[in-house]
Amino acid sequence: MQKINKNVVLALLSLTSLVFLLFQLYYYKFYLSQKSGAIFSKVRGSQSGQDNTRWHVVKKFLGLISSHNIPVYLIDPLILGLVDKDIEQIRSSLDGPSPECKYFCAPRDFTTFALLDKTWKHEVGLFRTAEKMGFQWLKIINKDPRLDGMDDLSGVEIPLHYIFKLASHAIHLVVFYERSGNYLWHGPLRLKQHMDRKFVPFRKLRFGHYPGAYEKPELQLVSIDDLNVRIPKNPYSFLEEMSQSRFLECREFNIAYSAFQLYPDDASLDVVDFRKKAKSLLHLAVLTLNNLGVKFWLSSGTCLGWYRQCNVIPHSKDVDLGVFIKDYKADIIPAFQKAGLPLKHKFGMYIFVFQVEDSLELSFQGEDGVKLDIFFFYEEDDHIWNGGTQAKSGRKFKYLFPKFTLCWTEFVELKVHVPCETLQYVEANYGPDWKVPVKTWDWKSSPSNVQYNGVWPVDEWDDVIQIY
Amino acid sequence: MDEWKPNPAIKPHKKRSWYLAWKYKLMNQRALRKLCQTGAVLFLLVTVIVNIKLILDTRRAAYEEEEESAQDYDDELLNVEVPRHPVSNKKVLDVEVYSSRSKVYVAVDGTTVLEDEAREQGRGIHVIVLNQATGHVMAKRVFDTYSPHEDEAMVLFLNMVARGRILIFTIKDEGSFHLKDTAKNVLKSLGSQVAPFLSWRDMWTFVGKKGGEVYGEKHAKSPALSTWGDPVLLKTEVHLTSVEDAECHWPDTELNRRRKRFCSKVEGYGSVCSCKDPTPIEFNPDPLKDNKVFDVPVAVIAGNRPNYLYRMLRSLLSAQGVNPQMITVFIDGYYEEPMDVVELFGLSGIQHTPISIKNARVSQHYKASLTATFNLFPDAKFAVVLEEDLDISVDFFSFLSQSIHLLEEDESLYCISAWNDQGYEHTAEDPSLLYRVETMPGLGWVLRKSLYKDELEPKWPTPEKLWDWDMWMRMPEQRKGRECIIPDISRSYHFGIVGLNMNGYFHEAYFKKHKFNTVPNVQLKNVESLRKDAYETEIHRLLGEAEVLDHSKNPCEDSFVPDTEGKVYVMFIRMEQEADFTTWTQLAKCLHIWDLDVRGNHKGLWRLFRKKNHFLVVGVPASPYSSKKPSSVTPIYMEPPAKEEGAVAVPAVAAAEQT
Repeated sequence: MQKINKNVVLALLSLTSLVFLLFQLYYYKFYLSQKSGAIFSKVRGSQSGQDNTRWHVVKKFLGLISSHNIPVYLIDPLILGLVDKDIEQIRSSLDGPSPECKYFCAPRDFTTFALLDKTWKHEVGLFRTAEKMGFQWLKIINKDPRLDGMDDLSGVEIPLHYIFKLASHAIHLVVFYERSGNYLWHGPLRLKQHMDRKFVPFRKLRFGHYPGAYEKPELQLVSIDDLNVRIPKNPYSFLEEMSQSRFLECREFNIAYSAFQLYPDDASLDVVDFRKKAKSLLHLAVLTLNNLGVKFWLSSGTCLGWYRQCNVIPHSKDVDLGVFIKDYKADIIPAFQKAGLPLKHKFGMYIFVFQVEDSLELSFQGEDGVKLDIFFFYEEDDHIWNGGTQAKSGRKFKYLFPKFTLCWTEFVELKVHVPCETLQYVEANYGPDWKVPVKTWDWKSSPSNVQYNGVWPVDEWDDVIQIY
Repeated sequence: MDEWKPNPAIKPHKKRSWYLAWKYKLMNQRALRKLCQTGAVLFLLVTVIVNIKLILDTRRAAYEEEEESAQDYDDELLNVEVPRHPVSNKKVLDVEVYSSRSKVYVAVDGTTVLEDEAREQGRGIHVIVLNQATGHVMAKRVFDTYSPHEDEAMVLFLNMVARGRILIFTIKDEGSFHLKDTAKNVLKSLGSQVAPFLSWRDMWTFVGKKGGEVYGEKHAKSPALSTWGDPVLLKTEVHLTSVEDAECHWPDTELNRRRKRFCSKVEGYGSVCSCKDPTPIEFNPDPLKDNKVFDVPVAVIAGNRPNYLYRMLRSLLSAQGVNPQMITVFIDGYYEEPMDVVELFGLSGIQHTPISIKNARVSQHYKASLTATFNLFPDAKFAVVLEEDLDISVDFFSFLSQSIHLLEEDESLYCISAWNDQGYEHTAEDPSLLYRVETMPGLGWVLRKSLYKDELEPKWPTPEKLWDWDMWMRMPEQRKGRECIIPDISRSYHFGIVGLNMNGYFHEAYFKKHKFNTVPNVQLKNVESLRKDAYETEIHRLLGEAEVLDHSKNPCEDSFVPDTEGKVYVMFIRMEQEADFTTWTQLAKCLHIWDLDVRGNHKGLWRLFRKKNHFLVVGVPASPYSSKKPSSVTPIYMEPPAKEEGAVAVPAVAAAEQT
């Protein structure tokens, strides 16, 4: 009796475990082997032919595009990261055979290349050759943002991404377009209804989650793992740029557009004239700040104008930029003066021997009465603020904003930053009625995020309120 | 546990025995065996738990992945797929054709493909071409054969239609008055029995295959001059052929694929769709050496005149130094056929939703097109602007390449134009000669980006202002005293007869005899002398060497200019102030040049050719060149004829067209 009991127990348990073992095997066979790239290769380690496959696919792809004279360059973050570590070595040994496959064999699902749209002619022949070589390919098209501002031009669709798949590896070809403002743009990757969602693991793509903006890169030809490819001359700075490349289209916001429709644009002569002046002032400011390497964004009215109507607001009187106080440089004032923009007034202080920095604001006098205001923003744990000072009374004001990150955008033919969370930013500043154009605006009372912040001590006035 | 037992359950009892067994085992078995067994049990249990956890985890991860990969990259816009009509395998089409005084219609398989009951419109013979394999409408035309020359156009069109196509004819109102025998014979050769006898206000419908059978014909004779024939309705069946029979068998190349797509959709483009010897659609003209306009975008402004566009693009793509990649065709409206033409040539085209009406619509289309051009080519400093009704000279790009640097360097320039308003067969001679003029001719011109972006675009006339864009550009507020460079012999030719402000009469009077350069690689002379100050020196030199004509003669007479060649002559006309063009207008009229408004002047001076001599006209005393007038000469004054009411109205409207 006892023995039977014990045996039953053991048998039962062994059976259960056997069932589980079988289930496990089944599971690996049917689920994981399908996802050959990711989990499987990790489990099996790198002894399989996977590494070589990647190298071969890249080699085939490079052969394909060079046979059609299409100048692509490598922008794969993983490989560029590896390359960056050995950049000196790679640069010096252009033609020598490399002993091992170090870069193109690194485990990954994709290899990403970039293509400048204007450097090729969209020949169909490329895809026919690709098919002959065994590639499966997918083309992702979408609206041309360069024509998006003109609602009456019908949505011309342009190719934004190509994916070439061979065996278990895929090449992601990102198409870059040149846009007004002298920068390159790539579009988001959005699948249309009928597209095969399992063509490749799209989620792992490094480009296409958002549209992106880049400077035109300088390229160099290098030999990596016996393959000749062009890469950005400075892979490190490219990767840096990539991490902050997200781009916003002002026309993306339907709301913004409808606001524009509701309140038709003023095109009277003085408006045209003001816009022209504001535009040239902004161009000058952007040039100056970029030369100094100071990161800035469109703020206040200028940001509202961008968001609301993709243009300078007709009845504003100045151009507003924001800068984080940590990016402040003492050269800013002389640089602007050199550029022909004298300092009009300076409020607040930056480094005052025993005091903390507070409420810094610079104003420069542009040509023809248009003013450039640079507000410095202070980061707190849960919010960001900037300050304002009334010259005659020494009263201080504080404008609070929720935390934000910066995105690129295009504004009056310039590539500039705006807060990615634009709506929150604009609403913080202008309240829920930001859509309605207002001709009179009092910076001390109109903003919905203003807080009275005390008065500057009279003995400090000379330092903190400087008017020229 | 034992005390608490309301039911005589077996289970607790059993449990008890289990427990006892364990107890017994624990106490009596050997320690090692016991340990092994518990170990095994524990191990198995742990395996089970770990396995369950693993399965759940992987499951969830995989599920999330799938979800996300789809979500992240989904297009927010739901693409509503338009349900396609099931491809009918029907081999027979029902065709209905109606002809009457005030209405015509054609229905194919119940779908109306033509319906015209508008008053005072659509008079004449309506022609529809159907694809014999698919039954799709390939062309729709109306020829107003009540008016002269329209029958010639019809013959031309019918000759271009490929053999085998199905042709449908119907008359609205009147279609016989100017239907000549040639045209009647063509209709007869198509199988019409009635066509040779068609007469005044007859109603007529006809369906037949080109070069093949007749599917039906109906005719109603007009009983009297003052009345129309009874309406006729023709109902017939057309047998479709197979697709292979309807297509040509060209070698399978990229070009021929484009050709095939085009030719299966539209008709009336002649030899481009010829099976035997199709005309090329790629031209590969010689490249230009040192081409300065290779990277300049070319915007072709088009409406719904696909045949014009076809002719225009052919000439454009044949011009030396053309760069097809820089060409964009902007089509005003969602018209399919112009887009088909653009695709045939492998160019890129953009359609534009029509806003506003008439002139304002054209003006808005221009603005959108120019803005789009500079957006698409952000590096460009210039854009070439062309229209769909222009022939482009073979040396168009060569002309621009040699002169474009002036537009970049000379602030006093407004544009470079390929068109000389006064360059007629009898008034233009020298392909290498350029002028500076105060008027903006348009018709193939170069626009500076900075001019557009900084000045024109922000204040472009809004849709509610019904302005012509070109008239607006000529206004002093925009032009600000700047001038355009033009050639003596135009590098474009305006062939459009149908247009917003255009008709056959007007075209014949003002455009037909325009001179057009056909010489390739013309080397322009003295390009540098076109700069602001250099040009003044040049004019003074010219006036200095010019021979003063006999002012006692009538300037309209041919004998006014001596029968010489290659000389420079000058005449002086009266021009009281800058805006006084009374005498000039009369002179222009009798010289048969552009007289609808003032064109081609530079500081009160006009330059043209007469009898192969350079002929200068100076307005005295308004022109600064008046000082060159010998004191003995009295400037000629020509009086305008007494105004006739009504007669003035036509040119006033027409003046808008010349752009």
